[in-house]
Amino acid sequence: MAIVKPEMKSYIWLKTADGSIQEVEEEVAMFCPVICRELLQNGKGSSKNCAISLPERVNPASLELILEFCRFHQVPGRSNKERKKHDEKFVRLDTKTLCDLASAADSLQLRPVVDLTSRALARVIEGKTPEEIRETFHLPDDLTEEEKLEPLRNMTDDPRIRLLNRLYARKRKELYDRKKLKNVDAEEEPLVDERSVDDLLSFINSGDQDSKGARVTKNKKKSRGRKEQARNLSSNNEAGNYNKESNCHTSGCLNGDTNDGSSPSRNSKLQNSPSAMFSSKLDLDDFDIDDELDPARKEEIDREVEDFARRLDSVWPERIQQILSLGQETRRLRPISMNGNGSMERCTAGVDRG
Amino acid sequence: MDTDLDRDLLSDLPQSIIESILVKVPLVDAVRTSILSRKWRYKWAAITELVFNDTCLTSGHDKSIISCNLVNFITRCLFLHDGPIHKFELNTSYSPASPDLDQWLLFLSRKDIKELIIDIGEDDWFRAPSCVFFCPKLTHLVLVRCELNPPPNFKGFLCLKHLSLQQVIIPPHDIEVLISSCPLLESLTLSYFDSLELTIRAPNLKYLNLEGEFKDIRLENTPHLIGISVAMYMTDDIAEHFEQCSGCNFDKFLGCVPCLERLIGHIYFTKYLSIGNEQGNFPVTYQNLKFIELYQVSFEDMKELLVVLRLIVSSPNLEELQISSSSITTTTDIYDLEFWERDWPADCTFGKLKMVHMTDFSSLPHEIAFIKFLLGHSPVLEQMIVAPTIYVTDKVVKMLIDLLTFRRASPLATVKFIQEPL
Repeated sequence: MAIVKPEMKSYIWLKTADGSIQEVEEEVAMFCPVICRELLQNGKGSSKNCAISLPERVNPASLELILEFCRFHQVPGRSNKERKKHDEKFVRLDTKTLCDLASAADSLQLRPVVDLTSRALARVIEGKTPEEIRETFHLPDDLTEEEKLEPLRNMTDDPRIRLLNRLYARKRKELYDRKKLKNVDAEEEPLVDERSVDDLLSFINSGDQDSKGARVTKNKKKSRGRKEQARNLSSNNEAGNYNKESNCHTSGCLNGDTNDGSSPSRNSKLQNSPSAMFSSKLDLDDFDIDDELDPARKEEIDREVEDFARRLDSVWPERIQQILSLGQETRRLRPISMNGNGSMERCTAGVDRG
Repeated sequence: MDTDLDRDLLSDLPQSIIESILVKVPLVDAVRTSILSRKWRYKWAAITELVFNDTCLTSGHDKSIISCNLVNFITRCLFLHDGPIHKFELNTSYSPASPDLDQWLLFLSRKDIKELIIDIGEDDWFRAPSCVFFCPKLTHLVLVRCELNPPPNFKGFLCLKHLSLQQVIIPPHDIEVLISSCPLLESLTLSYFDSLELTIRAPNLKYLNLEGEFKDIRLENTPHLIGISVAMYMTDDIAEHFEQCSGCNFDKFLGCVPCLERLIGHIYFTKYLSIGNEQGNFPVTYQNLKFIELYQVSFEDMKELLVVLRLIVSSPNLEELQISSSSITTTTDIYDLEFWERDWPADCTFGKLKMVHMTDFSSLPHEIAFIKFLLGHSPVLEQMIVAPTIYVTDKVVKMLIDLLTFRRASPLATVKFIQEPL
């Protein structure tokens, strides 16, 4: 009968992707399913020459951490409280190490470490603004303004998503038109979330009945989004539209030219000329989808898109404060042409991002 | 900045890790990741668990607007989602209107939903649409305050393992059918049902949790039951019903649960078990029963006391016993203390009993006799903890002295008194 003396622990050899080879106590490494399998089924790891090759994502630092984890947990006598405490301390790492560790644990199929690291990363992400997250994880801010309005792929050919894509096409067309008419804007505006500025501006100009009206109709439209139903409801919007048109006139905006039968919101009442043309790689075909719809419907669609955009990009209360003060500044600079959706503001910010 | 060090850390993690992370942040934050960068546009849309709760509410004071925003958020999340949805939880005090909720449930029933948890509104009941009954892969169902009406062609949830119904209105016959048509059911929780008469047939059931007013519970086919927790409320007409019924409740309830490991009974549970006439011998032994917790046991009612004794005598491997006594001392009958020597076999021992915890102890004669009995028949007892009730303060000292003088079968037994601070 073999008596295993403490000094006679068996060791196995592990090789990471960068070629470095390590010797580890067998019982520690066996805690890890992939290593276990390699050892038992493929018989590898017994010597330096046939060391177990670990998957590519396991770098030496992560391996070190994983082995430390296994070393702690494979000791049977520990209480749950102890284990929990250890785990909490274990994941107090910087983000890069956490990500590498998560990746390594996933390739080694070590579920407890995967859960721990995911939870830690979730805690890092939770509650941060997009900018903060981008900074922490070094994510490129590579979505242009337009891309944020880009139609979401309609995987299932859902009629509602088709509708949404139309709305986005419309929005893109608006942006494009507006950019064509803008002047170069000298002052630099900090990158803000312009959709919330719209939101705010519409709130500020809150006598805006059609925005509220549209909101009501939009909700009714939620049930199965039938277009006929929406069209019926759009008659509710007529009144709102008239109101809007009169707003434009009284605020003295220049909207003489742009009546191509489209909604008032598309009228550019801009005093400032567009900045350097940024080549919108817009597919002009997209613009034509909506042209058969009547103006009231288009108005509704615009509201729809705004709301949706707000959903995608919702802002924290303190940010609203920030933007509120910003909005007031821009108001001062461009006193004319404030209408319900403050489309002009959007364009400015868009240009700066471009 | 050096571009090497600035390499994107997060987007290239394997999809399973990203899903694992996104599932652990509130859903609102997960959806917000869609504007982080190009790669992140649709990562959130593939997560398989959607949990809508108060973190999804917009701030403000106008309840109708908040409710409206919540409904919009849920609807948009659902139709932008891509792929199967395994878990859907809706937990909010706002009540979405019926068409919305019905449509969400219809949508989910087409998406391989496995876990469905709905707890909405504070005072309203919603009516579960029939599509709920046709979710073939459902394993977890939790419904609170809803009206359930299984359609006639409902064949059961063939994968359901966990069912929890709280304040659910369902025709009484249908609930029995529902339970028995879920062959894999392992855990059943029924809370706040009114006057329920129920026969439970669930061959794989392991955990049973009942709370409410039950007229009659019969466990007919539950051979694998491991844990039972019952809180039985009593109303006048249930009490009347008990007067009239025959048949022994103890046998009906605990008659065929041989694998039972843990039994917890609250409020009127022991009273419930005591009703009916038992045969006198105890056919069933609970070989695995290790923990018994009984609350509000009346030591003045001989029948309840007999129930307790029957339980502990039929559990040779009992390790821990916790009894809380009900502190109503209404009767002035003479206590039949001879009972202990006369009717009870002197040779029964509780071979594995290690811990006994008596609370709300009010030094009733039978309570004292019970403790004496336990002390004298538990050879491996380690701890006997007695906590007197706060209502009886004058007799406490005498009672404690008495207790200390009782013969202890176990040399290791320590008797502890815990007095709650006033």
